Amino acid sequence: MATYLRKPVDFLKIFAIYFIFLCCSCYGSVDDSFTEELYIKSLERGHVLNHFQFTTLWNSSISDENTFKNYRYFPKALGDVLATYKVQELHLSQSQGQWDYEHWGYQPEDAPPGVELWVWFQPQASNLDQVWAELVNALSGLFCASLNFMDSKATVSPRWSFRPMGLASEYYSFDSRLMRYSALPREIVCTENLTPWEKLLPCETQAGLASLFNGVKMYDSSFHSLGLHVRPVCQDGDCTKEGIELKQTLSVVFNPVNNNRGNIQDHQNWSLKSMFDRSLHKTCPVAKFSKLYVDSTLHPRPKMLLTPEPDEVLNTRRGGDKRVYAVYDLRQHTRDSVPFNLQASYNSRVQYQDVTPPPLYAQRFVTGYGLEKGGISCILYNNLDTNLTVIYMETIPWYLRVYFSSVHIEAYGVTIKPYKTQFNPGKDRKLPHQLEVVFRLRPLSVTKISFEFDRAFLKWTEYPPDANHGFYVNSAVISTMLPSGQQYTAVPQNGSTFSDSLKDETIQFFLRLHTESLLVSLPTPDFSMPYNVICLACTVVAIAFGSLHNLTTRSFRAVDPSKMKKGLIDKLKNLLKWKKAEEVKDNEEKDEKKDTEDDTDSPNVGENTGTAARKRAKAPSDSSEEKS
Amino acid sequence: MAAPMAVKKNMNAFKIIAIGWLSILMATSFSKAVDMEDFFTSEHTNNWAVLVDTSRFWFNYRHVANVLSIYRSVKRLGIPDSHIILMVADDMACNPRNPRPATVFNNANEQINVYGDDVEVDYRGYEVTVENIIRVLTGRLPPSTPRSKRLLSDENSNILVYMTGHGGDGFLKFQDAEEISSVELADAFEQMWQKRRYHEAFFMIDTCQAESMFQKFYSPNILAVASSRVGEDSLSHHVDPSIGVYVIDRYTYYALEFLERVEPNSKKTMGQFLQVCPKSQCVSTVSYRTDLFRRDPSKVLLTDFFGSVRNVELLTETMDFSNVTMPQTCSKESCGSQANQESSRPLKYAEQFPMPT
Repeated sequence: MATYLRKPVDFLKIFAIYFIFLCCSCYGSVDDSFTEELYIKSLERGHVLNHFQFTTLWNSSISDENTFKNYRYFPKALGDVLATYKVQELHLSQSQGQWDYEHWGYQPEDAPPGVELWVWFQPQASNLDQVWAELVNALSGLFCASLNFMDSKATVSPRWSFRPMGLASEYYSFDSRLMRYSALPREIVCTENLTPWEKLLPCETQAGLASLFNGVKMYDSSFHSLGLHVRPVCQDGDCTKEGIELKQTLSVVFNPVNNNRGNIQDHQNWSLKSMFDRSLHKTCPVAKFSKLYVDSTLHPRPKMLLTPEPDEVLNTRRGGDKRVYAVYDLRQHTRDSVPFNLQASYNSRVQYQDVTPPPLYAQRFVTGYGLEKGGISCILYNNLDTNLTVIYMETIPWYLRVYFSSVHIEAYGVTIKPYKTQFNPGKDRKLPHQLEVVFRLRPLSVTKISFEFDRAFLKWTEYPPDANHGFYVNSAVISTMLPSGQQYTAVPQNGSTFSDSLKDETIQFFLRLHTESLLVSLPTPDFSMPYNVICLACTVVAIAFGSLHNLTTRSFRAVDPSKMKKGLIDKLKNLLKWKKAEEVKDNEEKDEKKDTEDDTDSPNVGENTGTAARKRAKAPSDSSEEKS
Repeated sequence: MAAPMAVKKNMNAFKIIAIGWLSILMATSFSKAVDMEDFFTSEHTNNWAVLVDTSRFWFNYRHVANVLSIYRSVKRLGIPDSHIILMVADDMACNPRNPRPATVFNNANEQINVYGDDVEVDYRGYEVTVENIIRVLTGRLPPSTPRSKRLLSDENSNILVYMTGHGGDGFLKFQDAEEISSVELADAFEQMWQKRRYHEAFFMIDTCQAESMFQKFYSPNILAVASSRVGEDSLSHHVDPSIGVYVIDRYTYYALEFLERVEPNSKKTMGQFLQVCPKSQCVSTVSYRTDLFRRDPSKVLLTDFFGSVRNVELLTETMDFSNVTMPQTCSKESCGSQANQESSRPLKYAEQFPMPT
């Protein structure tokens, strides 16, 4: 009887669950998908790039109010910030280290050293200065970084350099008042920034590629960068509906050949275990796919052997650049709970030789000497055989007062006239200097752009606690359109996941480069001087003034020397003197006795002389009294 | 005759039954009262921790190790990151001079990485200033301050305040640029008391002449311990030759030895904690102040300050909630027009490079 009854109950239960599931998926359905990918590329001189990309695509519009009411894979913490501050696009990168463009090519997501944040707001947002200030505060709490220092002194609105990367209506991207850009080159990136970043992922670090994240290994690398990019994208091919793309990227460049521990290997052999100290046990169950791509393009350099064998080998071309990718479907490899550890071994040694440089790269440095003036020069190398138009953007803090008249572009001694220039001079303590110059680079040329500045005196309260370290200047941003896809690894604009970059058919590639950030000394006061001055002044006052004051204001009176209290030495001296005086007196008395018969005065000679002396002493005072 | 007798009998029976019921009720209520007492023994309902390191520069590595060790203990005993305000004035873990990147050790045997892989620093670098610590304690922060940087305590919160750095008689140095005086700190605690921002506070300080920092306190319910007396210096414990700096201070080292043996359900008392690090181990005299604290420290649990109160009551009966009518949420079909506005012409990506190439 009981078993007979159980069956319909079970059936009801299952039906109820299914029904609820259906209803949930129908009602306010949050239609988003999550993918995770890892791209590994071996770079020149023994380095290995690991680029993680976690992409969440949400079929809902960012400007719609109802979007941020129900969440599934998209992190709520970030969604709240985007909704409150009416953000259309948000790009945040936190990096440490300098990307070596000349030897490593281009980054999949370009990032300057330190923190960089640029945001496009929705067209209906108003009072943007206030909104920006609140947004950076909210993000500083979310990412444990000091983003609250991105105030008006460090924020600019570039006109040409940072166009929206996502969907934009007709004239939206022309209005640069709707965007803000700021960078803090001083910010460090450490596990405290990785922790909140990885908590935004659906699987966090419990499963998936994020379980490889090991701070102790990742921060012991040549370069590492965290990125977070939100933008509106097309939901499908015919682009009639808007969706939101959230891309979280992490790039880390290891050096297996010389990993700072003193042991140098000859071969560039690497494995996931040797780089991250962990192997992959499980992929994220909610990911649509979980893939690993290894760039195994054969250059004239050591041939690489991968273990285990790749699932697929893709031969692609990107803008004329031939590439070979080994693709692994990680879900298959971790299916039987066997840990996945990809190993690569090379058949010959690392070659340290001249490399083919990328089409465009730049170097920037401070010029000049002393603490009064200075200059900044940037050298751009164009290795293509065609002209290249670049937009060069600089953000200089207000205390390095830039002379716009000194902006000078030249190549091989020939001055180049810029096509367009935009210069916003800075205001002391309010705005930084902003320079955007558009000019053309000749084929296969070296061009130098330079300008001069004066160093300002800061008020003594404006110096940071470690003032003698120096002050940082933001990286310059160079934007261009490359006709060739050489060394180019970024995801195309109309794609989202990294796999879209493998099928990229475009012929022009938008490139954004960041140069080095600079460290400049300002005339710094000696902060111990107030203490020194107080000590010196007080000493001078005590010794010089004090003693002089005493001398001038002291009243003198004569004192009977015999009545004066004497020290031990003086007493001894007096004893000797007294003995001598006694002898003399005895002799005199003997003489006197011979002369006179009686002496009624006191028998003590000392007293006699004392009374005589007192009488003598009295006399002039009597006389003085009489006089006065 | 029988009727009044019967009534009397009934009355007696009724009285007996009534007394019986009353006694049962009272017994149950008393037992319930006992349950309530067990439930709320310490009178506080949440725990917060404000952990401050005020020193900058590489050679002050030990102060960062101090504060991260206490952070680690406090997290392990149950206080979540959302209730901890951690202020670290300089970055030691990813400092270029650190031969072990992303690690901070508090012991030369380098067994425990107190920095760990789950750390959230709320105020870092130049943000650690006297103004910010006073604002955090008193709650007078600008409106745009995010939640993780606020001390959202109430009158039922027990707060642990730990400060470490370089100090002197009556002051504590912040980042080599400014100092907080003991009077300021006492006034901040008084503001907290007047605004009912704490139920009980435990103030721990590990600097030179640390006692001077709590001598000026005048607000009730503060228990304070300092690593040294006025006129004494607090000393560091040992140097790690492979890192090249002193890695921990004596008082915090021995306090940590004590705390590492504490579990979240431990019955160890604050009185035992105040006896940690006698002069033979610490070289400086650990002094404490209990006159402002109304309970006897030897009866106060250590987890009242270092752990987190999570009183959970399991209900076995189901609860019914009334039906709340929500505004109609859009499903794909019905709200297609509102949610995803199909534009008449296809949307376009913005042009990235606005110049002629």
